[in-house]
Amino acid sequence: MKVSVDIRHSVQHGDGTKPDWDGIMETANHQEGEAAAVKIGDSPLESNQPADSLAASFSLLENHMFPDPVESNGSAAVSRIEPVNSQPPDVSAEHLGLDEKPPSDQVMKLDPEKTKTECQNDVSMQPADGTTEDDATDNDQSDSGEFVVTMLAKAKLEEQGIGVKGRSSPLLEAGTQESSSFTSHRDEDVTADSWRQHRKHVFVLSEAGKPIYSRYGSEEALSSTMGVMMALVSFVQSGDNIIRSVYSDEHTVVFLQKGPLVLVCVSSSRQSEQQLQGELLYVYYQIISMLTQASISRIFEHKKNYDLRRLLAGSEKILDGLLNLVDSDPSFLLSAVHCLPLASSLRDSLSQILQKAITPNLVFSILIAKNQLLTIVQEKTVIEDSRLEPADVHLLLNLIGASSAFQAGEIWTPICLPLFNPDCYFYAYISYLDPPECTVCLLLLSTDKEAFYSVAECKRKIEEAMMAQNSLSLIAKAGTYSVSQVGVSDLRHFMYKPFDVPDNYRQLTQFTSPEMEAPYSSEEEKMRLLDLYRYMHGRIHSTSRPLKLIYHVAERETLLAWVTSKFELYTCFSPLVTKACAITAITKLLRWIKKEEDRLFIRYPPKYSTTPNPSKSSRGGKSDQQDSTDNGFLSLL
Amino acid sequence: MPEVSKMKKPDVKIVLLGDMNVGKTSLLHRYMERKFKETVSTVGGAFFLKQWGPYNISIWDTAGREQFHGLGSMYCRGAAAVILTYDVTNWQSLAELEERFLSLTDTANHDCIYALVGNKADLTDSKAQLCQDSDGLVKDRTECNEECEVPSGCPTPPASPTSLPGVMLRKQVINEDAVTLYGRILRYKGLEEKSSLPAEKMCFETSAKTGYNVDTLFETLFDLVLPSILRKRQENQQSPTVDLEECRMVGSKKGRSGCC
Ligand SMILES: Nc1nc2c(ncn2[C@@H]2O[C@H](COP(=O)(O)OP(=O)(O)OP(=O)(O)O)[C@@H](O)[C@H]2O)c(=O)[nH]1
Ligand SMILES: [Mg+2]
Repeated sequence: MKVSVDIRHSVQHGDGTKPDWDGIMETANHQEGEAAAVKIGDSPLESNQPADSLAASFSLLENHMFPDPVESNGSAAVSRIEPVNSQPPDVSAEHLGLDEKPPSDQVMKLDPEKTKTECQNDVSMQPADGTTEDDATDNDQSDSGEFVVTMLAKAKLEEQGIGVKGRSSPLLEAGTQESSSFTSHRDEDVTADSWRQHRKHVFVLSEAGKPIYSRYGSEEALSSTMGVMMALVSFVQSGDNIIRSVYSDEHTVVFLQKGPLVLVCVSSSRQSEQQLQGELLYVYYQIISMLTQASISRIFEHKKNYDLRRLLAGSEKILDGLLNLVDSDPSFLLSAVHCLPLASSLRDSLSQILQKAITPNLVFSILIAKNQLLTIVQEKTVIEDSRLEPADVHLLLNLIGASSAFQAGEIWTPICLPLFNPDCYFYAYISYLDPPECTVCLLLLSTDKEAFYSVAECKRKIEEAMMAQNSLSLIAKAGTYSVSQVGVSDLRHFMYKPFDVPDNYRQLTQFTSPEMEAPYSSEEEKMRLLDLYRYMHGRIHSTSRPLKLIYHVAERETLLAWVTSKFELYTCFSPLVTKACAITAITKLLRWIKKEEDRLFIRYPPKYSTTPNPSKSSRGGKSDQQDSTDNGFLSLL
Repeated sequence: MPEVSKMKKPDVKIVLLGDMNVGKTSLLHRYMERKFKETVSTVGGAFFLKQWGPYNISIWDTAGREQFHGLGSMYCRGAAAVILTYDVTNWQSLAELEERFLSLTDTANHDCIYALVGNKADLTDSKAQLCQDSDGLVKDRTECNEECEVPSGCPTPPASPTSLPGVMLRKQVINEDAVTLYGRILRYKGLEEKSSLPAEKMCFETSAKTGYNVDTLFETLFDLVLPSILRKRQENQQSPTVDLEECRMVGSKKGRSGCC
C-alpha cells in the first residue's frame, strides 16, 4: 500500500488551506486579462491616491486587528492592492449584464486568444490553419491554442449542441433515449432548447469515451456528444497536451482529467476556470468517495471500456445533489465548512459526550444539525499527522443529505474520504437522533467493517447522555444569525473565513456567514449574490493577477472582498455606501466576529484515543485491519 | 467492556436482499411505518429494530447496487431468515437473485429460512391493488390511497409506473418461476425439500405500494424464526421457563394478524 501513501502526499497541499486543485492551476497564464469579462483590474495602480489610502487603511486595520509578530507583510499587502475603485461603471455592467450581451452567432468563436490550453510537454505543433483570427498577442501559447481550434473545428463541437444555442444536432437526435429510470432530469429531451439552456452542464466520461454521468439528460442520449468530447481530449492528448478549457462568448468549457475519468463542465455562469475546475474536482471526489481511486484504476486497467454506470447506478442523485449544493452553498467555493452557531458551553458539552462514547477503530465522531456541523471529534493518532479536509466533510454532508433514513433506521455504509486517503474505505454509521424530524444526525466513522454493533452502541451512549443534558432541545433553538446582529446599517451580508481559528490551529477550515435576508431572500436574488461573490472570489484568486482587495460597485450593491494572511472576507453593502463607511463597517464587523468567535466557530476540538488499534493504517500505510478498496464488486467484473 | 450495555440486544436477524429498485426499502417502510413514500436508493445497509412481543428482531435493509455487493455477506452473517426480493415486472431481477445474491447467504445460519418475494404486484394483479391493514381487512382502494404518500408534483419515475386501475403491466415473473427458484435455492443450500418449509409457504407476492401481503410476509417470518430465538436464548440463559412463557405471549399475539 505504499502507493496510496504517495498519492496521499501528492494530494495534500503545502499549506493545507487549499485543496489540491490549486496545484493543477499553477501554470495558468495571461488569459484572464484578455477576456472581456475580467478587464476590471487592468488599470495601473500607481498614482491613485484614494486607492492607496484605502489600501493603507486596510493594511493598518489588518495589523491592528490581527497583529502578527512573525510575518509582517503589511507592505506586501499594500503593494498588491489594486485600485479597482477607479473603474468606469461599465465594469459591473459587464459582469452583471449577462443577458444584455449582443446575441452571438451559433458557432462558438474559437480564436486562440480565447482558447487556452496547458502544455505539459511542449512538442512541436502543427502550424495554424485558417481558423485563427489573431496572431499577435499570445505567442507563448498560440501554438496550442491553434491546435485546439483546429481540433474543435474538426470535431464540429458547436454542432453537438454542447450548450450552444441553435440547431439541434443530428447526432444527438440519433442518440437512444431509452432506459432512464431516475430523476426527471434524466428524462430531459437533450435535443430541446431548454436542455441547452441549463446554466451548467456536467459530464463524466471514461477515457474510452463511455458516458458515465450527465447532470441533465440521460447519458445514453448524450453518448455521441460525449464521444466527441472524448475524441477531442484524446486527440489533444496524443500531442502530450491537456485541454483545460475552451471559451466562447457565452460558455466556458472546462475539462478535467483524473486518472481514467474525464470530467467536462459547460457553463454559462461566468465563473472562473479555476472555480469550474474546482467544481469538477468535487464531482470526481464524490465518485471516489463511493468507489475509491484504487478500484477505479483497477477496473479500467482490467477493462478499458468498462461501463462504470453499472457501479454508479443509483448514485446519480448523490451527484445531482452535489452539483446543486455546489451552486447554492458557498462552502464549496470557500473550501471551508460552515458550523452552526452555538453557545460554546453547549458545543463543549456535546464534544465531551462524543469524546466519551468510543470504541476501538473509531476515528471520527461528527454531530450535524440542519446540515451544518455542530462538533467534530477525532482520534488522536489520526489528528497528529493530518486533519479532516473541508472537501471530505462536504462530501459526507452531501451523502447524508442524499440518503434517507426513516424512523430509527441506522445506516452502515462504506465511504472513502478522498482527500484523507483516496484508496481506502471508512465505514460510516449514520443515524438521526431526533426521529421523526430527522434534523440532528450522528455520523461515526470507523476503520473496521465489522464494527457496526459496537459503533451503534456508542450511539446509545451518546443518545443517553444527550437526553440527560437535554441537548436536543437546546440544539433545536440554535440556528443561523442575522446580519443585523453586527449592528452595521449598510452591511447586508458577509462571508468570513479565518485561515486559522484560534485554538483550532491547523484544524478544519471554517467560515461564518449570516442568513441571506432581504433583498436576497428569493432564490434568484440569492443566486445573484452568490454569483457576485463567485466573481469576487475569482478575481481574488486569479492565478494571473491575484488581488488582495477589491472594491466593486455593482448595480444594486457594493461589494468588498479582502484577503489577508489571516482571513478571507467578502462583504456586501447597500449600493450607496461610501468607501469610508465600508472601512468603518468592516472594522466593526471584524470586532464583532472576534467577540462572537466562541459561538461562530468550533474551537478547542477535543480528541480521543481508541488505541490499542491506532488507526494509522487508515492513512494507507499498512492496512491490516483496514478493508482496502475491495468492496466485493471487483469480483463481478 | 465492564458495564452491561443497555442496548436492546437483537435476538435474531432478518436480511432483505435483492437487486436495486425492486422495493426492499419500500417494503420495510410499509411494514414499519404503514406508509409508502418516495425512497432514495439505499447506500450500504440500514439497520432496524422491530419489537415483536418480547423479542427484538433486527432487520437489515441492504443496498441492491453492485457497488455494495461485497458487503452483503457481512450483513447476512448469522441471519435467521433472508428475504430474497424481486420485482414481478422485471424478469432480470429474479435472475439476479440466483446470480448475484444467493452466494451472499453463505454466511447465514445453517438453519436459515428463505423467503422469495415478488414485489410491485399492484402493477400486475388487480387483487394486489386493494390494500390491507394489519388486521388483514381489505380496504377500499380510494381510502387506501390517502395512506400512500406519493409526493404530489413529482412524477413517478418510469421504473415504477403508476398503477392505474384497470391498466396492468405485463407480469414478467409468475409465481411458478419463483417456486422453481425456491427449489434450486434449497438444493444450493443442500437442504432436503421434504424437511424444509414448502415453497407455497415461502413464496410471496407483495405490494409495498398498497400494502398487499406485506404484513403477512413479515409476520410469517417472525413466527418462523421464533425457534431460532428460543434456541439462542437458551444458549445464553439458564431459565428456559421464561422463554416458554414468552413463547406463549407471542403465540397469542400471532392470532391477531390474520392471513388471507
Ligand atoms: N408500483 C409499485 N412501486 C413500488 C413498489 N415498491 C417500490 N416501488 C417503487 O420502486 C422504486 C424503488 O423502491 P426502493 O424501495 O427504493 O427499492 P430498493 O429495493 O430499496 O432499492 P435499493 O435500495 O437501490 O436496493 C421506488 O420508486 C418505489 O416507489 C410497489 O409495491 N409497487
Ligand atoms: Mg433500498
